Amino acid sequence: MKDIHSIREDFPLLATHSSNKPMVYFDTACQSLRPRQVMDAINHYYLEESACGGRSMHHLASAVTRDVDLARGILAKHLNANRKEEIIFTRNTTEGINLVANSLDFKAGDVVLISDKEHNSNLLPWQRLAQKSGVIVKIVPSLPDNTFDLTAYDQLLDEPVKLVSFYYTSNLDGVTIPAEEIIKKAHHQGALVLLDAAQTAPHHKINLKALGVDFLALSGHKMLGPSGMGILYGKYALLEKMEPFLVGGDTVSSTTYTTGEFLPPPAKFEAGLQDYAGILGMGAAVKYLESIGFDTIQKQELLLNEHLTRETQDIEGLHLIGPSNARLRGAIFTFFIDKLDSHRIALMLDQMSNIIVRSGQHCVHSWFHARGITSSVRASLYFYNTLDEADLFVTSLRKIRKVL
Amino acid sequence: MFCVIALIVLSILGIFSASNRVLAKEALDCVLRRVTLRPCNTGFDEKMKARILGSVINRSEKVASFLSHYFEVLAWSFFVLLLASGIFAIRGFYLFYTTGSCNGLNSTALCVFDPTGKNNETSVIDEGCRVDQAGRGTELTLKDVDPGGFPVLYSDSPDTIVFIGCFACDYTRKAYPLVRKLADKHQASFTFLEYPVKEKTDLDTRYAYCAYQQDPVKYWDYADALFNAEKVDLDSDQFLITSAESVGLDGERINTCANDPATESNVKAQLQQILYTNFRGTPTVFINGKAMVGPKPYRVYAIMLDGFFYWLK
Repeated sequence: MKDIHSIREDFPLLATHSSNKPMVYFDTACQSLRPRQVMDAINHYYLEESACGGRSMHHLASAVTRDVDLARGILAKHLNANRKEEIIFTRNTTEGINLVANSLDFKAGDVVLISDKEHNSNLLPWQRLAQKSGVIVKIVPSLPDNTFDLTAYDQLLDEPVKLVSFYYTSNLDGVTIPAEEIIKKAHHQGALVLLDAAQTAPHHKINLKALGVDFLALSGHKMLGPSGMGILYGKYALLEKMEPFLVGGDTVSSTTYTTGEFLPPPAKFEAGLQDYAGILGMGAAVKYLESIGFDTIQKQELLLNEHLTRETQDIEGLHLIGPSNARLRGAIFTFFIDKLDSHRIALMLDQMSNIIVRSGQHCVHSWFHARGITSSVRASLYFYNTLDEADLFVTSLRKIRKVL
Repeated sequence: MFCVIALIVLSILGIFSASNRVLAKEALDCVLRRVTLRPCNTGFDEKMKARILGSVINRSEKVASFLSHYFEVLAWSFFVLLLASGIFAIRGFYLFYTTGSCNGLNSTALCVFDPTGKNNETSVIDEGCRVDQAGRGTELTLKDVDPGGFPVLYSDSPDTIVFIGCFACDYTRKAYPLVRKLADKHQASFTFLEYPVKEKTDLDTRYAYCAYQQDPVKYWDYADALFNAEKVDLDSDQFLITSAESVGLDGERINTCANDPATESNVKAQLQQILYTNFRGTPTVFINGKAMVGPKPYRVYAIMLDGFFYWLK
């Protein structure tokens, strides 16, 4: 097993400095850093087999087709899907959710359940569907500590629900929902379940068979993969029945001037030339994650988050978003400080200590607006972060609190 | 207010760096919003404040705290200072353009546009001057000077240029052709008061005096020849005679005249007249009575004679 130092050597950006200060990257929830292995896989495509996959017959095309198929297989195995054809390549989680929203057979009056702290990617597609198709969007409120409220969920499930679409792990506070229980209950009521796993896949082993989820969307760029690369998982039987979202090249076996014969999944959902380099990079990212191991990943994240939580609890005016128990917040440490602008805190952390964090409403505007909170600072951790970095963060934050 | 200062500073820095150009653009947007009574919601001021505080905090938390609490006050103070220095800078540039010095005509105080003070350099008369300096005051003036007997061109013109210079003075040599060019262009009355500030150059003064007495027209060619000669030659009788002959003057007659005691007396009287101007070094140029000390750029002389828009005329 690699130690933290050799792990960090795989990430070239961690060796960079600004004003002689080493970079501390605490913005993985937005986008993770990439190890050399992923960049090598991307380069492999561009340097050695830069061609179209699935179309041409020449040897380069064959190589691309084979490698894309291999990557799909790696991902299917990693997620424990029933078959690799259940893996659809998308640009990101947002596209995956939009695909479901646009391809599933929704009718006026169908109910979609979401939570009260969804990322805009899992809010706007349903809002739009409500406006266009008369779908009813119902919101499951969180408990006061921002964890999932199963009772409220149960109550909303009493009425017929077409789809339950929840975050799996919140990008706001790192809370992970009890997905298995939620899915069981939904299925019991005849509802389908879509999970936004953008913040889960980088930190947790996802077992699709065990979960029994109907759809699951994730982004590659948060789990060491290339940006602009994502996955939508869907149960094959459901995918078969769904209309394609985008149509065009490679989605059909043949066309006439008036009709087209769509290919089976996943091809009918992957319109146009794909991001082959990204797909190869995604496969490499998953392999890298598996080589580290999710136990190691979670252990390091918990160590760091507990440290941050403990060391900042006496900072005057600091409010954590989410449960106070770091174990329940995974790799996310989001907070705001009374009377201090969060953007200023983030900018100062960057300027004074080269610490990269996210500030603002983290695409969960609805949650902030409902609570009258202007903004927050989010430090999102990963296995490549160290205790020294966490200490620097705490020291810098204390200084900022003192000065501002 | 911070945006205004930032816009100015970043615009200047932006000349040299693309990243500062981007920030300057943000500052401009912020300023435009403020000017149109809208809040600066670009985050620019916050960004810059955080940057500044972030840099300072690692050096001194106290200073950072002070900056944080009095940021707006400091921004206003800097704005006022910037405004004041801007006004002074514009004034300085205007004065430099019109007088050759940021601090006004004949001022030798430091000027950033002329850091070496070359526009005010003179050969001072105290160095090597061997004439009676009695009667000197401080105000540069022509009112006590009798111009009769000094070489003059275009004497009928209402515009007058009086040039005090020395054939061997480098600064005079720099200014003389410019002032002559101006006088010729405008047909302005040009009086040349030759004053020997350099060692041994009183010889030139006597020869030049005699040349003018012999032929007031050819004198100007003789003066040009002496200005163009090597300075070392100006100590030589023979060179002065040869130069006179080269412009069509009678060299021997000039030589005789120059060694005549009466000439020495007349020249001395003329030099005394020049001293009544209270000048302190060469070149000193009076244009319509206004004195300019040191070799100025052509535009300064032209503005003095023809006004600010001399180049339009």
